[in-house]
This record gives sequence, C-alpha cells and structure tokens, in this order.
Amino acid sequence: MRFGGLTAVKDVSVEVKPGSITAVIGPNGAGKTTLFNAITGVYEPTEGRVLVAGRDPQREFSSRVTMGIVVTALATAIFLAVLVRVEVLWQAAIIDNYVFQQPFPWMKAVAAFFTTFFGGGFFGTWLPLLIGALLGGAGRLVIWSRTRRTPDVIASAGVARTFQNIRLFPELSLVENVVVGMDRRLHTGFIGALFALPSALRERTKARMDAMALLDFVGLADRAETAAANLPYGHQRRLEIARALASKPAVILLDEPAAGMNPTETVDLMRLIRAIRDAGTTVVLIEHHMRVVMGISDRIHVLQYGEKIAEGTPEEIRNDPRCIEAYLGKEELG
Amino acid sequence: MAERRFSFFTPGQYAVLALLAATPFIDLAFPSIQLSGPMRTVVVYAILALGLNVVVGWTGLLNLGIAAFMAIGAYAFGILTAEIYPFQVGFWWALLLSGAIGAFAGWLLGAPTLRLRGDYLAIVTLGFGEIVQDGLKNLQTITKGTEGINPLPKPTIPFGAHIDAALSKVGVGSAATTDSAGTTATTALSATESVAGALPRWFDISSETPARWFYLYLILLAVVICLCRNLEFSRLGRQWFAVREDELAARCMAIEPDKAKLKAFAAGAALAAVAGALFASHLASTGEPANYDFQVSILALCIVIVGGIGSITGVVLGAIVMVGLSNVVLPALTQAMQRAGIGSTENVLSSPDNYKYLIFGLALVLMMRFRPDGIVHTRKAVKK
Repeated sequence: MRFGGLTAVKDVSVEVKPGSITAVIGPNGAGKTTLFNAITGVYEPTEGRVLVAGRDPQREFSSRVTMGIVVTALATAIFLAVLVRVEVLWQAAIIDNYVFQQPFPWMKAVAAFFTTFFGGGFFGTWLPLLIGALLGGAGRLVIWSRTRRTPDVIASAGVARTFQNIRLFPELSLVENVVVGMDRRLHTGFIGALFALPSALRERTKARMDAMALLDFVGLADRAETAAANLPYGHQRRLEIARALASKPAVILLDEPAAGMNPTETVDLMRLIRAIRDAGTTVVLIEHHMRVVMGISDRIHVLQYGEKIAEGTPEEIRNDPRCIEAYLGKEELG
Repeated sequence: MAERRFSFFTPGQYAVLALLAATPFIDLAFPSIQLSGPMRTVVVYAILALGLNVVVGWTGLLNLGIAAFMAIGAYAFGILTAEIYPFQVGFWWALLLSGAIGAFAGWLLGAPTLRLRGDYLAIVTLGFGEIVQDGLKNLQTITKGTEGINPLPKPTIPFGAHIDAALSKVGVGSAATTDSAGTTATTALSATESVAGALPRWFDISSETPARWFYLYLILLAVVICLCRNLEFSRLGRQWFAVREDELAARCMAIEPDKAKLKAFAAGAALAAVAGALFASHLASTGEPANYDFQVSILALCIVIVGGIGSITGVVLGAIVMVGLSNVVLPALTQAMQRAGIGSTENVLSSPDNYKYLIFGLALVLMMRFRPDGIVHTRKAVKK
C-alpha cells in the first residue's frame, strides 16, 4: 500500500483461520489501520489482494456490467440525438399533425418522428448518436472500474469492521444504528418502502427484534431508543461492534476496541470478543492493550514501519526480542 | 426513530393538516377575504418543500435547483393537458405522469453528478436550475416561450358526478352551481339551500369552487405526507440517514451511497414535479419560465430550514408560515391598505408586499440565532 512515494504497508501477509481471534499489533504509525483500510476497501491497495474464503471480493466484469454499459450507451445516444433537434422533431411529429380539436393521427406522428429522427444527416443524427454512445458507455465503464472494490463490495462479501475513531450514526437511535448494519440482509425495495407494504413492515419488525437481541448481546438493550451520540464513549464502542455484527459477517475487524476503556470495561470487552468468536465469527483486532491482546488472541502479527516483523502465539511474541525492541526500545529491561 | 405506530399521520401532522383544513371556514365566516385560492400555493410549496426535504433534510445533499424539477413538472403537466397539444390526458393522469417525468429527470441529473461531494453538487444543481429555465424560455416551439402553455383545465374530481348523485339522494346534495359546467347536476333542493345557506354547495364535490379545489390539494398533500412518512421509517429512509450521518460508515455497512442518493434525488424531484403540476393547474397556465427561478429554490430551502430540517410536520408548518406570509397575508394587507387609502402604488415602501424578502431574511437570522434546528426539532442528539 503506497501513498504517492510513501510506502505505508509493505509485503504484509496476514492469514486468518476461521473461528479464531487474530491480533495485529505494532507501535503507532506501523500501518495497522492502513492495513485494515486496504482490506475493507477504504483504500485501493496498490499491490496485493484480499481473499475471503479463497475468493477476492470484487465487482466482476459480468454480463450484467456489459449489459449496463450497452444500455447506458444506447440511452445516452438516443437522448442526445433527440435533445439536439428536439424542436424540429416536435414540429414534425406533433405540430404538423395536430389540428385543433381534431383526432390525432398517432401512427402518422410516430412515422414522422422516425423519418425526421433519421433524416438529420451526419451532423443531425449520426454524430450526436455516436458522441452519446461514447459518453454513456465510457461513463458507465469508468464508474464500474472505480467502484470495483469499494467498501460496500467488501462488506457484502462478509467482512465487517469498526473504526479507530468511532463512526456511528450519531442522530440515529441505538436500535436504528444496528438495523443499518443489517442492511445487506434486508430486501425491501422502493415500492415496498413507499407504500409500507406488509412484507416491508414484517421485515422491519423482524429487523428491529434482531437488533434488540444484538443490543442485548453487547449489553445496551436498556438504552435502545436513545441517540447514539448521547452514549458514553465505552458504550459507543460496544454499539459499533453490535452494528458490525448485525450483518452476520464471516470476519469482523475491530480497530482498537479497548481504546479509552477503563479496566472493568476492558474485561467485559474481552468476554464479548470471546463470545463473538464462540458464536462462529472470525475476529481480527488491532489493539494496544497488551493485556487484551495476550489474553484473548490465538495468533498475533506484529507490524513495524509497515513491515511484518513477527508472527506467532502470544507466548512466542512475548519472548520475541524484536517485538520487545519495537515496543520498548533497545535498552535492557530493568 | 421510535417504533412506528400504525397510523397514517403523527399528531403533529394531524395538527398542521387540520390547521390548513380550517382555511375554507375562514372564507365562509368572512366572505370578503377569500383565502382558499391563494392558500393553494401554500399546499403547492409544502409539497415542493417536502420533496426538497427528502434530498436536503434526510440525505444531506444540498440541492439548489429544486425549482427546475418544479418547472419540469409544470410544463409536463401543461403539455399533457393543454388543448393546443394532442395528448389531453386529463388532470389525474397528467399529475401521475408529471411525477414520473420529474423522477426521471432527477435520475438523469443525479446519475452522473451524485458522486460529487458537498459544494460541487450544490453548484451542479444550481446550474441545472438555470439551464432548465433558459431551455424552457428558448424552446419556443414546445413551451411557447415566455407566454407559457395555457389554458390548462381545472382538476376534475374522479367519480364526482356519481358522488353528487349519491349525495342528492340522501338529501345532502345540492343545486347545480353556476361554475359546475359539465357535471350531471342534480335538482335544486331549495329548502335545504335556504336553511343551511351556503353549506350544501360545499358538498357539491364535482364543481371546482375555491373551497373544493383547496380541499383537493389538501388531500393530495395528505397523501404526500403519508408516503413521505412511509419512506422515513423504511429501509430506504434508514439508508438515507446513514449516508447523511457518515457516508464511509454507511459504505462499510454494505450500503451503496450512490444508489441511495440517486433514489433520494429521484423521489425529491418527483415530489417537486407534482408540486409544479399542481402549481400549473392552480394558475391554469404554466406561466412563464421565470416563475421557476432561483428564488423559488431558495424559498423552498428556507421553508425546510425554518420549519425544521428533516421533519415532515416542520416542513409543512414552515410552508404555512413562509408562503402564508408572502402569498396570503402580505397581499391581503396590501390590498386592505390600498382600499383604506393608506398605501399608494407610487411609493414602494408603503406596500407591505415589498417587505417580503426583508421579513424572510430577518426570520432566517432569528431562526439561526435562537432555534437553529427549525420550528420543529428532529434531532435527538446533544449538539456538540
């Protein structure tokens, strides 16, 4: 992962076993959060891949994309060609055929429209069609290529995350926050939403019940209807975890979940993370609290200056001289 | 968002609708002022502002060109109903089609531009507003330039004749009023007429007297409010809020902000277009393109901000206050003063009508100082 000439994370490979807890540690600026951002699609990695269960989550260049490009190109072509001569077409199709309060000859009007449409010569018909097709097709292609690996694609593949500096939806209630996290499992479309169709209402009720269960799981059910911004800091972290869990992810990435928590909250958090793992979700976390890291991790990866310097079980890491050096400097431990 | 109770409206929404519904009674009590006609514009602007609220209040996109969609709706309605064109689909179909055309226009504008952030999108919508206005002015063959398309038919009430017949059978019905041309008028029940005075005429639904016309608009507003409320409490509404609050976090929750924004834009444009169609029907003409200029967009934005950004009740209340002031109270005051000989047409300062923007500006400044979230709050969060 490079930003201009600066290499932030280099040759880091993290393999995570399903159903385990993996920690990524390292001094400040080691590139831990950058690694998370590259994984979740916030940044486009300059090199390297993310495989979830052996697959690289991306928008493929599928037949649907091809169809989209063709349809957009055609639509813009026709739109542009009509737009540049809209008055001529209107005159030929409508005004020339309509006699006040007489029945309108629809077939004749349609025929006149098409004759005029294709009778514009190179500059009237074919050039606008060509430009429109190029613009529309190219635009659609560019949009596809730029959104191939956006966070929503990664999230849809079952990778959820929390953020180092909490990013909740502050004005939504706790339960709504969690329901937003559930979005990828919901199906209500525009029409269902607009008319509050029974299926939409059923889904909504079910989603809220699931959300309440999750809030209960992280211990926030009693404040379900307050706005997220009104929660104390430690609770906001738990809410973020609940929101990430709501999508039923295969992997959950926690970015410093224990930051700013007091010792009791930290112990609760450790219990919560173990419970998440035991429920079948793979956990990857960034953490500075050594007690948390050593206490719950199955495997630890250590980063320094954007490179991985060690990997192993908590026991191995604790005794690895390079890790001690990275964290505490070169002096002898006193 | 609290759990949705299964009702059509919230108490606040009932209250503002009831407030509006009282207008024709004022006419009945004071026949000299006649508010129902001008009050229709309040309803039109309420629908326009509700459309803007979807985009600005719920999705957090600044749209400075909502008047363009109103214009598109008005002209679509004009072309579809005017006698000079062959379509003449009638009020209801034209209303629906205008909404659909507006949504399409919103989608068309939004698809390539909604990836722009913040201020850039505002500039694009601002430009779009000007382009549409100029386009309508110059496409003379289609839009009749500054003349506007006219005359447009008044709205018709579906099954109006049947309702009339049914009502007359049960004895509530009415005399054929002079302005109810084309309806199957029932026999005059002179006894009822004399007893209850003007009241029976009220129930003559099929004829478009100002009161009935106003109620028709009010019912449409009620439908719009109900649909907006459905959206607010739906998955889509939640996606909009999430995008507004934190786009990146929403993305990481597998929401595609571009799609959510596009839907908001299209929904807002559709409502604005419906407002435009109703406006054209109210004037019986599309009017000139300058009727849909930047000031209209700004007025709609002021309504949303003063009323309470994101709150349906607030937005309708904002429309009552702002448009009620500029289109109803101030003109009435001006007229009254001129009749009393206080104001003169030569002295611009003596006519209250001309203080409109001064009052708007003052209202905005005061609101920003004392109640920045608008008359009706929606925000639960403590402001940092």
